[in-house]
Amino acid sequence: MRDRFGGLLAWVGWIGALGALTVAYLPFRDGIDPVYVTLSFLLVVLGGSATGGRALGLALTFIAYFGFHFFFVEAFDSLTMVNARDTFVLAAFLVTSLVASHLVTRARADAAAARARTSEVERLASIGAETLAAGRAEDALRAVIEVIRTTAGVDRGELIPDERAHTRHVQAHELHFPLTAHGQRAGTLVLSHHAEVHLTDAQRRFLTALAHYAALAAERVRLVADAEQAEASRQAEALRASLLAGLSHDLRTPLTTIKAIASRLRGRLPEAAAIEREADRLDRLAGDLVDLSRLNAGAVPIRAEVNAAADLVGAAVQRARDAHAADRLRVVPFDADGSPPVLAMFDFVHALRALSNLVENALKYSPPDSVVDLSVVRDEQTVSFSVADRGPGIAAHEAELVFDAFYRAPGAPMDTGGAGLGLAIARRLAREQDGDVTVTGRPGGGSVFTLTLPAASA
Amino acid sequence: MGRTILLIEDEAPIRAVVRDALWSPGDVWLTAPTGSEGLALATAHRPELIVLDLGLPDLDGLVVCRSLRAVTPAPILVLSARHDEAQKVALLDAGADDYVTKPFGSTELRARVRAHLRRTEAAAVRPSGRLVVGELDIDTERRTVTAGGLPVHLAPTEWTLLSALVANRGRTMTHQQLFRAVWGEGTFGHPQQYLRVYITHLRRKIERDPYAPRLIVTEPGVGYRFDLPDPADDA
Repeated sequence: MRDRFGGLLAWVGWIGALGALTVAYLPFRDGIDPVYVTLSFLLVVLGGSATGGRALGLALTFIAYFGFHFFFVEAFDSLTMVNARDTFVLAAFLVTSLVASHLVTRARADAAAARARTSEVERLASIGAETLAAGRAEDALRAVIEVIRTTAGVDRGELIPDERAHTRHVQAHELHFPLTAHGQRAGTLVLSHHAEVHLTDAQRRFLTALAHYAALAAERVRLVADAEQAEASRQAEALRASLLAGLSHDLRTPLTTIKAIASRLRGRLPEAAAIEREADRLDRLAGDLVDLSRLNAGAVPIRAEVNAAADLVGAAVQRARDAHAADRLRVVPFDADGSPPVLAMFDFVHALRALSNLVENALKYSPPDSVVDLSVVRDEQTVSFSVADRGPGIAAHEAELVFDAFYRAPGAPMDTGGAGLGLAIARRLAREQDGDVTVTGRPGGGSVFTLTLPAASA
Repeated sequence: MGRTILLIEDEAPIRAVVRDALWSPGDVWLTAPTGSEGLALATAHRPELIVLDLGLPDLDGLVVCRSLRAVTPAPILVLSARHDEAQKVALLDAGADDYVTKPFGSTELRARVRAHLRRTEAAAVRPSGRLVVGELDIDTERRTVTAGGLPVHLAPTEWTLLSALVANRGRTMTHQQLFRAVWGEGTFGHPQQYLRVYITHLRRKIERDPYAPRLIVTEPGVGYRFDLPDPADDA
């Protein structure tokens, strides 16, 4: 509206100027050099083109041309020409006027375009600064959206998460920009206005570029949230690990006293054996809690080396012997005399822990008069240590559940000891060494827990 | 005839437990609540056995161990709440003879102490020669081994390994120490691997049940030990 008004003013002004010049020169047209007239008219054409645009420039060109022709070229007050030379003057004037008008108009358009580009670059720079600003990620995102909104000249701008964007229809007077940053969806930018929004292609392209910054800002919000959560998790885990380690020491000192006294009373007091056993159980529980916590915090260094399977089996038997249960553990021979010993890649202490947990589990959950079989099988890639018991077996749907920390099979007797951590720790330790612990049923009743570790050769 | 026992322990309840476990009539007990006092007592009184707790207030257990080893040849038994193999290895290298984790049973502690005292006695009486362990008859001078009367053929490396274990019987030798004893210094490759393979071969030949070894015992993460049978085991 203002443009139109301004345009009208320019038209009236410059045409009026032409008229005024014509009136001014009219009395002198007999003796005046046509150069004065042509140059003055040219100035008006230039001025009109510069301020009023191409249309005005063209209009002024032709008005000036015919005005000059009519009033100032013989024969005066008509469009007939008397001198042939005047043809050249007229033609020169027309061409000069047209070219000048064109050049000025173009220069004006170029200048306007350059200003628009500068403004775009400044906008991009300011958005870039907002995106990278060290302020809170949410504030930066809001600032970016605000810059986009004002650039588009719309009433509202907001970021819709993907889940809502799919169900929302594109309403009238809305622009939707899907945002993607680093190959990941970051939501949809919705610009809404009270009236229809018309954008030129150049504006749409520019807004799409700005939307990319919005995507980066949105991604930054998400990453900051993830990082904060991960840090909080890590700190909580580290705190838990250190608390448990302190607890472990504080528990073990009184346990030492209890256990030592109980073992001294073994011959004299029938309950002494039970006291010692329960002290051992508490000790194991404290150890398991600390270890599981440290494993979860990633604080357990695992150094896998080439080890002999027979060594691991022997150490597991030794553990069972220490717990006075070796007579219930039977090893199926696997290292035939002539053949090279079966070797595997593992951290001895941690693999022994895992295997002992499986053996203990088997002994605990099977009848006291039954035997637990330990066998070893080597194939191309792995060495499998299988612990088979004649216990109640594991239901198919529980096969994965038993490896969850603190899981206790429903219906299991409450005094079987431990806290349900043995299998969880065994599996974690196995997996940290590129192995695993799995369970299957046993023909004839019971379960077979298998510890697999990567095979090795000498 | 009583023994002189030095106990370096700062926590009173543990002191009581250890004394109770190891007490036998005629023994002389020296106790110190700090490392420096313990060292002073060791230097002044020449104890036959030292029990050292690692959680001392003034000095690092490793430092105390090394300093003790410098002034006395007595067996050093270390007590610790931590199940840390790296620490065990470090202590054994620093001169400790054994490592007991808390909580421990008094029976276990007594058995270990007996084993070490027997070892030092045996070493004092007869440093080398013939060793009879159950069915196994090892003659280090003639370099022969018989099991149940039948001769056992050992490869040269297997023999060196067995001798090293037997020479230090009752004491845990770290992987490093054993490897050095058999293959010497400056060998490249994966030392642990060779050692483990040879231990397995040795067990097959001299153990009654290689899967339940009683002679060559594994100390997980630390090393191996040639165990002497405890006469009190059958009790």
